[in-house]
Amino acid sequence: MCDVEAKLVAWLDRELSSDEAADVDRHIKGCQECRGRLATYKQVSETFDVYCDAVGAGKTRHRVSRWVPVLASVVAAAVVMFLAFPQRRVEPPPVLAPTLASVPVPAPCAAEAAARKTMRRRHAVPPVQERAMKWQPTETAVQIAIPAEAMFPPGAMPKGMNFIAELSIAPDGSVQQVRLRQ
Amino acid sequence: MSDDSVPLALPLLRLAAGSSEVTTLYRELRKPLLRYLVCLGLSSDEAQDVVQDAFLSLQRHLASDRKQENIRGWLFRVAHNQARNRQASYHRRFSEPLDGEMESLAADGTPEQRVLEKEKFRCVAAAIRLLTLSERECLLLRAGGLRYREIGEVLGMAVSTVGDTMERAIKKLAEKCNV
Repeated sequence: MCDVEAKLVAWLDRELSSDEAADVDRHIKGCQECRGRLATYKQVSETFDVYCDAVGAGKTRHRVSRWVPVLASVVAAAVVMFLAFPQRRVEPPPVLAPTLASVPVPAPCAAEAAARKTMRRRHAVPPVQERAMKWQPTETAVQIAIPAEAMFPPGAMPKGMNFIAELSIAPDGSVQQVRLRQ
Repeated sequence: MSDDSVPLALPLLRLAAGSSEVTTLYRELRKPLLRYLVCLGLSSDEAQDVVQDAFLSLQRHLASDRKQENIRGWLFRVAHNQARNRQASYHRRFSEPLDGEMESLAADGTPEQRVLEKEKFRCVAAAIRLLTLSERECLLLRAGGLRYREIGEVLGMAVSTVGDTMERAIKKLAEKCNV
């Protein structure tokens, strides 16, 4: 075993002082065994560097290459689906123009849908007055017969007299008008 | 490791645009830092985060008028410590640092060359598993271009200890790899 063997790696890395490096230089010229060791250490170092490069490149590139085929497949599937099933336009049913004479509740479909959509919203409910203006009042829907004795004190009205309360109900269910008649 | 494979984050772009010195350092040291951290066992994303944090720390360090003679060693030390802090169980995760997926560097070579390279890498990987943690870290830092004195600063070791550790590690690899 040579004396300088323990310094060969440091000599290879140029970490020795000038005196120590000169000693190793002289020894190497005359020692074939140490020259062989130096060659081996140099090759090991280069192999380790290449291996580290390969590991680093593998870790940084593998993440991208793993997703490329997945994304490509998704895009291809989307294109195939689009070509196979083109989006058809759904024609809405014809809507007749509402007339007051023919239709008792003239509610335009678009307006009704808009009204329903609006009513589903929690924070954007239009005021009742605004909605009422959009709807035409309907004919009397409810008639209630009320005996006069139930409304007036005894003796104030002749017996057997009844009153009829006519309630006009709006399409949204609210009472729009109450009229009392004999 | 390609430069294009790792995107440059916005803060670092701002940082680099404001300091030509840091820009030069970044171009020179980013790749070795990334390789060192990835080989330590960090994922690619973690390594990029650590490198950016290290350069931001450098920017703050330089902005505070604190001079640093050996910026390369300082950066590696900061990155090394941040990598340790990011690992919940450093020793467990770093115990097999170089067992990641490998990118064949002989992709343009013949099939025989690729097979030989694969066999060589397999042999090196088996030999690396026999090294101690300090021996691996010394070799990785040496592969990053650091001198023994810088490696000692990063790992908190004396220069003579670094020399002994390096020699021991190289001899182990040479024995096991039979190159």
